[in-house]
Amino acid sequence: MPPPALSAPGSGRLGSGWASIVSNSLDNPATPSIQRRRPRRLAWLAPASLAVGLLAWEALSRLAGLPSFILPPPSAVGRRFLELASDGSLWRHTLVTLLEILAGLAVGVTVAFVLGYLVAKSRSLERVLEPYIVASQSIPVVAIAPLLIIWFGAGTLSKVMISALIVFFPVLVNTVVGVRSVPADLHDLMRSLRATRWQIFAKLDVPASLPVLFGGLKIGATLAVIGAVVGEFVAADQGLGFLITLNRGLYDTAGVFVAVFLLIGLAMLMYSAVSYVERRTLRWRNGLEA
Amino acid sequence: MLHSPLPRAVAGLVGLLALAALSGACSPPPPPEAPRPIRLPMGYIPNVQYAPFYVALDKGYFLEEGIDLEFDYAFETDGVALVGAGELPFSLASGEQVLLARAQGLPVTYVYAWWQDYPVAVAAPVESGITTPADLVGKRIGIPVLGGASFIGYQALMRAAGVSPEAADLEVIGFNQVEALLAGQTDAVVVYANNEPIQLEHLGMPVNVVRVADYVTLSSNGLISNEMTLDSDPELVRGMLRALARGVEDVVDDPEAAYEICKRYIEGLEDADQAVQRQVLDASIEFWRSERAGWSDPQAWENMHDVLLQTGLLKAPVALEEAYSNDFLP
Repeated sequence: MPPPALSAPGSGRLGSGWASIVSNSLDNPATPSIQRRRPRRLAWLAPASLAVGLLAWEALSRLAGLPSFILPPPSAVGRRFLELASDGSLWRHTLVTLLEILAGLAVGVTVAFVLGYLVAKSRSLERVLEPYIVASQSIPVVAIAPLLIIWFGAGTLSKVMISALIVFFPVLVNTVVGVRSVPADLHDLMRSLRATRWQIFAKLDVPASLPVLFGGLKIGATLAVIGAVVGEFVAADQGLGFLITLNRGLYDTAGVFVAVFLLIGLAMLMYSAVSYVERRTLRWRNGLEA
Repeated sequence: MLHSPLPRAVAGLVGLLALAALSGACSPPPPPEAPRPIRLPMGYIPNVQYAPFYVALDKGYFLEEGIDLEFDYAFETDGVALVGAGELPFSLASGEQVLLARAQGLPVTYVYAWWQDYPVAVAAPVESGITTPADLVGKRIGIPVLGGASFIGYQALMRAAGVSPEAADLEVIGFNQVEALLAGQTDAVVVYANNEPIQLEHLGMPVNVVRVADYVTLSSNGLISNEMTLDSDPELVRGMLRALARGVEDVVDDPEAAYEICKRYIEGLEDADQAVQRQVLDASIEFWRSERAGWSDPQAWENMHDVLLQTGLLKAPVALEEAYSNDFLP
């Protein structure tokens, strides 16, 4: 006698009951849990730490009498920031780099996710692709960046490709680990409920591996920044990497610091954005864990 | 038992004298002062273009001046910064780097004009018909970076010829000029006249070369030091320049021997295309010939200063009399 087909609330054939079964099974200490909100009373610690760091830096550069080209004080960096910001060039460079990062992340994550899922499902495909995948990680991007510039041109595309190449591996590995971490008995359960392949993918594999996937995505989001800048170091006429090269050539260390801090800001922004999406997407796990 | 015919006192005196003579003959001479280790940032990878340094080191010219020289193939800007910070006494740098660094407060001074002419040029395929800066109007020109010698050389070339630098479409391609021109990605590329044109020729693309040096004299590659070293150790500076001048002279006099010496210092040179590398050396030597070794032409510095101000890379004038010096030349 075939198992009873459950009524599906959406287009699928499974009912809402599956979710709780799957989620309860996934709710084990080994899977990464979502970061809980930090207590509000500790919120002052981060800005206070930053302020102390800046003051120490200012004091060091002043007391040691270091010339600005060796270590500009934060006040000099701030002045340079205002100069570059006021003429609009800083935002133009920042926007260029941000677009390269987003495009590189999108390409890298898409390819890594698709390939990672297929590899997770097929041991033979894994054997075939393993050398290429490992090679992609061991390539020193700085060394091949000039070649990528030749192949894809000196425009945005080459930076996007370099960024995607750096993003690819951590996302792929996390995808494979995430998909393979889904308990086999849940697959059995889904199959016993006559779930289609698409339903197993969409209703089990993806939600079940999301916590691990987001881990890879967070790493990828910050690495994408490095990828874009590596490309801009090699050949660019705009972007924050170009701004660093330009200012290094002019011995304008304060200008270099401005660009570096903006890159840090972009990396933090990317990380925070992924964390936000993660919290929103995995809110259902919070309820389960509570 | 033997008996000495000499009285004991005389024998003692002779013995003392002999001992003194013996000790004098055997005592080592005062140890020569150990050569001073000096690390020299070169600004580029090991290359036949550094032949004078290899030759001077190989023949012991630096050691004769009390210098134990070690090459550091660091970036040019890093070398300038280290010298400006007083971490190193010398570095190789182009004239514009000295002015840009001084504008930021780095107390660096150019002391030896090794390259007498600016080596930057624009190269284009022969069939393009590009032979003058005016021919570059409306063309796509590949340039490694929008800064450094290539950018400044291009700007100086166009301005000296009375052509707006903006009249051509500059495309940043990294240090891929040969590949970009071969692939037809650009109509022309900004190059070093002594290097890429030779490689392009050997790869089957003969090129016309529009040399900056044919239009304007600019301060070029040379040796820099810092004001601290010039003040505290002028003899070290003079010794360094003497050794370098001898190296340059030897290379100019006997390029073949210099090339053989280069093989001991450049990994892979034996396996490289000998014809190309030898031509690169010969082409470089043409930039090193001078009536007075290492002499800086004040007009070349004036011109460089003007270009940097016109392009906005210098926001304010720099005191040229502090930027270079001919006072330490051999």
